[in-house]
Amino acid sequence: MSRIWVLAMFLLRDLFRSLTAAIPLGVALAFALIAFEYGMDQPQFVTVAGVAMAALCVLNCLLLAGRANRGTSYAIVGRLPRRSELLAALVVSSIVLTIGLALATMVGNLVTGRLTLGFPSALWIIPTWLDLLLLAAALALPLSPLAARGGSHLAGWVFIAAVMVAYDQQARLQTQGLDWVVRAVGVIAWPVSTLLSQASAGLHGRSYFLALGLTLAYAALLFVVAVESFDDKDLLWAE
Amino acid sequence: MIRVQDIVKRYDGTLALDRLSLEVPQGAVYGLLGPNGAGKSTLLHLIMGFILPTSGEIDRAGLATARIGFLPEDTFYPPRFAIGEYLITLGRLAGLGRKEAEQVVARLLAQFGLEGETSRKLGTCSRGMLQRTGLAQALLGDPSLVILDEPTLGLDPGGQRFIREQIRALHHAGKTVLLSSHQLEQVLRVCTHVAVLNRGRLVRSGPLDEMLAPRRQVTISTGALPPSMAPALTALCPSITITERQLALTGDAVVCKGKVLRMLLDAGVDVQHLSEQHATLEEIYLEATGG
Repeated sequence: MSRIWVLAMFLLRDLFRSLTAAIPLGVALAFALIAFEYGMDQPQFVTVAGVAMAALCVLNCLLLAGRANRGTSYAIVGRLPRRSELLAALVVSSIVLTIGLALATMVGNLVTGRLTLGFPSALWIIPTWLDLLLLAAALALPLSPLAARGGSHLAGWVFIAAVMVAYDQQARLQTQGLDWVVRAVGVIAWPVSTLLSQASAGLHGRSYFLALGLTLAYAALLFVVAVESFDDKDLLWAE
Repeated sequence: MIRVQDIVKRYDGTLALDRLSLEVPQGAVYGLLGPNGAGKSTLLHLIMGFILPTSGEIDRAGLATARIGFLPEDTFYPPRFAIGEYLITLGRLAGLGRKEAEQVVARLLAQFGLEGETSRKLGTCSRGMLQRTGLAQALLGDPSLVILDEPTLGLDPGGQRFIREQIRALHHAGKTVLLSSHQLEQVLRVCTHVAVLNRGRLVRSGPLDEMLAPRRQVTISTGALPPSMAPALTALCPSITITERQLALTGDAVVCKGKVLRMLLDAGVDVQHLSEQHATLEEIYLEATGG
């Protein structure tokens, strides 16, 4: 565990010593300024900022994985008992970075009065978002060229895009008789949509915890997929 | 220590290694020679586990990748990290605690003449400093096998000599060293064993002495030899070639050189000149790779 933490901190330092760091900082700043322009209450914050932070976590993980996908990683991978430790470090570092940016966004908007949170109920944001960020980081791994093999990440991106479009166009799909697509997308998205809707409504009962557990299971499954792909991949880094 | 058995490696239809088998004995300094694209780096990366064989087996005698020191061919270092900071991080990844990593890195930096450069950024280092840093990182965690991919590439004579000395020190410390190089002179000076690869195939391998021995020749020029000398010399060294004023010892017979000289001097023969020739590694290399 300590090795994964050391590696995660190394990956973060490497990111922040490059111009690439401007991307997550810029995105978080833009979100903090634009999304909170007309103020945000707690239910909105849980869902809107939750989804935005999950998307930011995907971006962070992709950026970190992109920097790890080069020759400097030979010396690192050569020291790890298992390659999966690099993937675990990427998950940890992207979550740490996203939490830092989420805290900065939250504190900045609380101080300027554009965000209202009620305590202690706002503390439920912690397990809700942590679960989402775990899923986001684990999702980014198989979508990154680092862990992907033979263009599998492109297939992953197409699948994600299809699910998102179908989720957005549910009404149209139903009118076209594609109920089964709507139902399938509903089943796939149930854990995340339930987690956010329950947390947003301040409900923390059986459905909330089931959604929390299933989201975690999704994250674990995606991490295993990434590990399986990365473990016996030829590491051909040229620079 | 390392046994490579019938390894085949293909990249998208390109055959990089073709049924290659090789044994690297414990404590050897094993040099891999071969033209560009012969498969040297591919073999080293296979042993490190960075790539996987298409078929065949690699037996590392239970040695985990983390217990192997590796110096990559190119200068793969994060340019904005300081030398000390980078090595301490790698030391911690090798399982050392923070304090222990700091102590080990301080010792290695002193050993590699970098003690005053701890806070120098890797991106500002010369090729020689990067290679020293790379060798230091390869030795973190006290590995029993050290793999060096082109360790003297692009170094000035002083840098090359330094790396040679470090390889000899590793050999004397009982470590096994596997290195690839294009610099035959370097290989000749430090390696105990050599393998020549060509187009993914192993074309020559073995102890360096044995490779060079069949081509070795000692020629002794003398004054007139007493007639009784020839049978005695032949008895001492059956493969000796005797002409009127010259003796030639070839291949394994060169080990008789001392005894032959003693016999000649004891018999009062006028020994005028002794010359020793052996095949160069370059000749063996060019012959094996077809020039």
